[in-house]
Amino acid sequence: MAKRGELMKGSTDSLLLCLIGQQPMYGYQIIKELDKRSQGYFKFKEGTLYPALRRVERAGLIVGKWQLLPSGQQRKYYHITDKGRYTLVEKRSQWQEFLVAMNLIIQPVRV
Amino acid sequence: MDSVRDNLRLDLSAEREVINELETHIEDELQDLKEAGLSEEEAANTCVKLLGSAKLVARQIYEAHSQGTWGQTLLASMPHLLFGLLFALNWWRGIGWLLIMLVLVLSMAVYGWWHGRPAWLFPWLGYSLLPVVAAGLLLLYLPKGWSWLAILLYIPLALWLLYSITVQTIKRDWLYSSLMLLPVPTIIGWFLAVEVAKFPGHWLERLHQFAPWIGLSFLALAVAVATFIRLRQRWLKATVLVISGLITLTMVAYYADGRLSLPAFLVLIIAMLSLLLSPALVERKLRRGGQQPVV
Repeated sequence: MAKRGELMKGSTDSLLLCLIGQQPMYGYQIIKELDKRSQGYFKFKEGTLYPALRRVERAGLIVGKWQLLPSGQQRKYYHITDKGRYTLVEKRSQWQEFLVAMNLIIQPVRV
Repeated sequence: MDSVRDNLRLDLSAEREVINELETHIEDELQDLKEAGLSEEEAANTCVKLLGSAKLVARQIYEAHSQGTWGQTLLASMPHLLFGLLFALNWWRGIGWLLIMLVLVLSMAVYGWWHGRPAWLFPWLGYSLLPVVAAGLLLLYLPKGWSWLAILLYIPLALWLLYSITVQTIKRDWLYSSLMLLPVPTIIGWFLAVEVAKFPGHWLERLHQFAPWIGLSFLALAVAVATFIRLRQRWLKATVLVISGLITLTMVAYYADGRLSLPAFLVLIIAMLSLLLSPALVERKLRRGGQQPVV
């Protein structure tokens, strides 16, 4: 798990940006969505998620807005900003390059 | 959630927002667990288990919020910079500048106090208490009979005010209390070096002589406060305060041309350490006494 944590360290912000870029989401929804889409690989805890959301929000990539639900409950939805969209495009292309390079090294050489 | 709140130490508006968000998160999680077939009690226990250590969660959230923006950093170091300029540019001789400083410091302190007590408030708050102390000292120089009046009326009132503001600050976060008290050892150090009490007739000349160095020591405090606001970890923040206290007192001893004796310097160092670190003990005592740290 510690090794998985190390791998995730640099990718948390990209994951959040990617999900929120698809639709505005609230904290609990993000955790569930990450868990579902990664088939249980990404299991975020509150202590990881909310500081990361705050970090991305401070960078101006997302913005949190409180929304009143019909049930009377209030939820904070995170929306991607223009700066966030631009960063997401950049990050996506960086990831693609990284994955291609990693695969070239990791995959066994075919003789 | 109370345990998370107790360890968050954020300003009131940020704290309210974080707690609301976490509460909604837990409500959603509880609902999902109950829908999955768990009883109310089992769902609550699972939620607590999933949340993990409340202290750790609070610390992680605190560190994400604790770094001030550059604007807040400038605002927090501003009173030290202004006091530094007051001496470096010899503005302290003009009553107009002193009045402007007094009004500015009091206004900022009152504004910050009633607007969620953000981190930038506390350096201003420290300086706003200076006139209270200075007025008490001046009252002691009144003719006989009147000084007793000061001792009986003003000083208890001033002490009560200082005590209650310090306790309120400690309840918010003991580090902010230390931030508030940061200039006190330096001011006392310069007060002793200028020998106001020993030779009341010549202190203005000496103050003029030391003014550039006094300005420099306040500038060092401004740098320390800026670093404090930008740092995330609490132990680093505390270390910066202590190191800046040591540096400024060393500056006082060095530039005061031997007017601050070695025993006085050592006593000041001990007093500085007690002043900056004792709020942590008071906070612990307040918590043990069952009081909530955030009012």
